[in-house]
Amino acid sequence: MNVTIQVPGMLRASAGGTSRLTVEASQTVRALLERLAQTHPDLYRSVCNETGAVRQHVNLFVNAANVRDLEGLDSALAPGDVVTILPAVSGG
Amino acid sequence: MAQRVFLCIGTKKGVFVAEAARSRGRFQLRGPFGPGVSVYSALIDTRGTPKLFASSCNAFFGMKVLRSTDLGKSFKETKSPPMFPEGDGRALANIWALEEGSDRKDLFAGVEPASLFHSDDGGDSWDIVPGISNHEHARQWQPGAGGMCMHTVLRDGDRIHLGISTGGHYLSEDGGQTFRASNTGVGAGFQPDPYPEFGQCVHKIVTTPHAPGRMYMQNHGGWSDWNGPGGPRPDIGVLRSDDHGHTWRSIAKGLPSDFGFPICVHPHDPDTVYVAPLTPMTRTCPDGAPAIWRSEDGGDSWRRLAKGFPKKESYFTILRDAMDIDELKSPALYFGTTTGQLWIGRDGGDEWECLFDSLPPINCVKVGVA
Repeated sequence: MNVTIQVPGMLRASAGGTSRLTVEASQTVRALLERLAQTHPDLYRSVCNETGAVRQHVNLFVNAANVRDLEGLDSALAPGDVVTILPAVSGG
Repeated sequence: MAQRVFLCIGTKKGVFVAEAARSRGRFQLRGPFGPGVSVYSALIDTRGTPKLFASSCNAFFGMKVLRSTDLGKSFKETKSPPMFPEGDGRALANIWALEEGSDRKDLFAGVEPASLFHSDDGGDSWDIVPGISNHEHARQWQPGAGGMCMHTVLRDGDRIHLGISTGGHYLSEDGGQTFRASNTGVGAGFQPDPYPEFGQCVHKIVTTPHAPGRMYMQNHGGWSDWNGPGGPRPDIGVLRSDDHGHTWRSIAKGLPSDFGFPICVHPHDPDTVYVAPLTPMTRTCPDGAPAIWRSEDGGDSWRRLAKGFPKKESYFTILRDAMDIDELKSPALYFGTTTGQLWIGRDGGDEWECLFDSLPPINCVKVGVA
């Protein structure tokens, strides 16, 4: 099963310059991130800190739903899903 | 090629580099590098081929260490920032200090939450220094207003001095294997016991190679009118040690305020030291009139330096790493403000000029001659 990761512009250098990554065989968001840690470690470190938690000011969406409103990192993925990485609107 | 003077200016929106001839007449500015991301620490490493380092502290996507090998014309990320080991439970929140180690590629990073990391490959990989990062006191340190940061890392042979806010001064005398709190004489005005073993809100510490054992500290002062338990705690903000930081004594008498953040020592005269007193409540220039204060007798007396500064209506803050002094024969001081001004104090601070007046808020200023 394949899912797609949509990468924001500021992180594309960590994704080999691309805005969309296709990742194979991920049943949950957690599994997807574990896979990402192996294939794109710089991108993974930008999304998760060294405890494995998603960074405070980063949001992950499965299609249109924020994973914080689903099952968090245990949110299920289905073939064809798009996981979007977005910085939270905060700061100054 | 003739040596030139370089300034690394860490701001809320990236790092700038300013460059001038040794006469320091006109500085050319370039940057920002790591644009849009706050830079809390910088290092101009003149061991061997000069390198510039800056910590890029992205609140969204985490920390990076930036490195320039072309004197600040470009910066690239090192291969890895410091990271807490798996299972530690802590996550890097900021990089507050980048300092040279013993060999050409050795670096130290002081971070938030207060911990020390070491690199032996010029910043491409980092190992935690357990002697202080896992110290029995470490989980008892509390964050100051800026966070729970290790902001000062000073090497003196096998001695390593650390400044932690709020943890106090820690000293290793075995090359960083073990550390102990070394705060005799360092006050903590915000605690019922004003002289605890540790937990002081140290703001900055400096050493000088010209007087072995001599150190100066800007501590968290501003407690002269405290009327709670224990009574007033005057003059705990500016301190001196003559025994490698084992004991400290106040040298704050004669200053308009013992509160401030940075402290600098003259590169050739260990008795000449500079502070930037601020009003404790607002943390801005007393009476709106900026001044740097200089002592030429090791802190026994102080002189106000204000030629060139506004005489009124100026309320900026100079943060702990935002003042530095160059190493030329007649050295100049440099400081940056939270209002984005970069000032130079020529002739040891006798005359001041604003070099740049509209930068982003400035976190740190480092100067080097390369």
